[in-house]
Amino acid sequence: MRPGKAVASFDSATGMLRALARFLHDRDVPLIGQGPAAMEPAMSALLGAASRLPRALQEKAYAASGWAEAVPLRRVPEIRSEELARWVTGHYPRRRYPVAFVGSSNGALVHLAAAVSAPWLPQTLLLPVRRHGVHPDDPRGDLDTTRQAGRALLDANPDLVLHHMHDANQDRLMIAGMTYFRVKWRRLPQAYARFLEESLEPGATLVVVECGLRWPSTRVGPRHVFQHGALGGATPEEYAHGGPRVADYLRRYGSPRRAWDYPPADGERPEAEWGFEPELLGELEKLAERNGWRLARLRFGEPEDLSPAVADLHRSWHERRGLPADRLLVECFLLLEPWWALRSGSAPFWTVFNTEASHARLRSYLDAADPYDEIRLTLFSHGVDSVGLAPIDAWRELLARARKVGVFTGVDTRAYPRDFAVLARAHRQLARIRTTYPMPLPLEWARAEEFLGKREELELRTR
Amino acid sequence: MPLEQLVHTVSGTAIMSRRRHGPGPAVVCVHGAGVSGREMLPFVRELGATHDAWAVDLPGFGRSEKPSAPPTLAGLSDAVAAWLEESGLERACLLGGSFGCQVAVDVAVRHPDRVAALVLVGPTVDPLGRSPVRLVAQWLRNSVHESPRMAPLNVADYLDAGPRRVLASFGVSMRDRVEDKLPYVAVPALVVRGGRDGMVPQAWAEEVTRLLPRGRLVVMEGLPHMVPYRDPRGLAREVTAFLGEVAA
Repeated sequence: MRPGKAVASFDSATGMLRALARFLHDRDVPLIGQGPAAMEPAMSALLGAASRLPRALQEKAYAASGWAEAVPLRRVPEIRSEELARWVTGHYPRRRYPVAFVGSSNGALVHLAAAVSAPWLPQTLLLPVRRHGVHPDDPRGDLDTTRQAGRALLDANPDLVLHHMHDANQDRLMIAGMTYFRVKWRRLPQAYARFLEESLEPGATLVVVECGLRWPSTRVGPRHVFQHGALGGATPEEYAHGGPRVADYLRRYGSPRRAWDYPPADGERPEAEWGFEPELLGELEKLAERNGWRLARLRFGEPEDLSPAVADLHRSWHERRGLPADRLLVECFLLLEPWWALRSGSAPFWTVFNTEASHARLRSYLDAADPYDEIRLTLFSHGVDSVGLAPIDAWRELLARARKVGVFTGVDTRAYPRDFAVLARAHRQLARIRTTYPMPLPLEWARAEEFLGKREELELRTR
Repeated sequence: MPLEQLVHTVSGTAIMSRRRHGPGPAVVCVHGAGVSGREMLPFVRELGATHDAWAVDLPGFGRSEKPSAPPTLAGLSDAVAAWLEESGLERACLLGGSFGCQVAVDVAVRHPDRVAALVLVGPTVDPLGRSPVRLVAQWLRNSVHESPRMAPLNVADYLDAGPRRVLASFGVSMRDRVEDKLPYVAVPALVVRGGRDGMVPQAWAEEVTRLLPRGRLVVMEGLPHMVPYRDPRGLAREVTAFLGEVAA
């Protein structure tokens, strides 16, 4: 099974990998890195038309797009983790880097890595798996249907941990015809080790990115867990026991249920999409020691803990270069543009998703930061009026914090959260920005390290 | 409610204006290229409920007298400044629509003591679109979103001004480098763009705001170039809020 086919294209880890790799190739990210800029007008028109379809049709199209890119159940055992790792490293230009990152997926980290011109190797990838006949609100049915395939995948890949994730809230449309297998490396794949040894000189720094987010889950078997929902609009309690917001949501979507029936959780484990699986750390430490690299551990509690620090790091860097440092670019999920963030002299603030929690994080950042003259905001659309979705007016309120220009970038506010065209238009509109600056030389890692080391919300320790 | 019609003589030319005299500070609307204050009247009626709202016909356009010489930007903005003095408005907020923004900016830069604030609705001309072919293409692209009821007003305006003056005003608009003047506008300025304005790209509206030292951008979603005609009430709301902030 070709690794590029097995891994989800529309996922955080892949989107981040593409954005960073393209940046290191000195390229921007049209069509979330999935197609050439020349296709943008056509895709923008096509997806814009899709945003105007009747809702039932839109939802079918969205579900079909998920199904189409998923792996048939019977082919899951053919997936090989070593091939996946080779596929990842194949994205990056081969050259010497002063620093490299390994670990958790994180949009702010993509900007940090771009700033210091370094690659990042994800610990987690998403393998979407096709399956039929399971209602989105039936997590037990989902687990039963795919348990065997999960076991076969793990038997063939002893270096992986499988976090089977079922989020009936935000992934409602996607999980109609497929399910989410998120795999994490607990052993360092050879391709990663080889790439690092070819890329890092003695004295270079290997940074392990460790997001400490944990989530309730159920052990299915050795190295196999089933996660109840995911980080986003609903709380772990709401996934486990329901509540008025969940009941209302299920009623709106015509579900026969009023709460979900997940198998009982038997503990909290690293969150499937963002959390770091610490088993990997030991091998990274040994590899660093063997090669004479400094090993740094960048630890934080939740994905967005890194966002304010990385935004402020960029702002201070822009100021040092004599730029106005008056622009903020707020990005969402896999809509990432490190190339244009630097070109436009913007500080990037990454939000995990379009939820109330992300909205609150952005608001508290704006409360604390010196005002920005310009704020541009992109919003990912997942097609669902899910629990905890922040409405468009709430985002508009935050845009009003800009002193001069507070605008959505590429967002069709009337279509949100069914605004599929944002995948084409976010880059398209951002790339039209006037007043741009020369691309800076990479930021020295020592400077970034010093800056991040002083932040209370993070821990950065180097050995 | 009928509007007052006033005629002032400025440098020997009779200038026509219409007014609804509300209680708040004065707002003077300056129309776009080739047209007249007619397109601003729905907005003047709306804003006049709370402000001293005016629409002026630039010399040579609408019901104002026609000078023999073709229009120049400096000539038009000098006429507006002189008209402001003649009509007893000490310091007014100038609201430009389209090319009217270029006139308003010129007044603000060359006669700063006459202007209290600026509102630039659909500011022309995007430097990247500064060619006759592009302007015509943009105009066509935008026109499908405009209200069909505005077309007879445009025709009446073009007949009033005459084809030579209409074309000349387009030429003036195209040659004026408004981007060079924006950094010298000292007063607070609100930039308004209709979300579907085909003549004013979003990036240009953002750049106009960036270049204005005290600029702020409002995008009114779903609206075309002629926001004052299409949504007078919504625009009045934005202008009222802006002037409230300026006063505070």
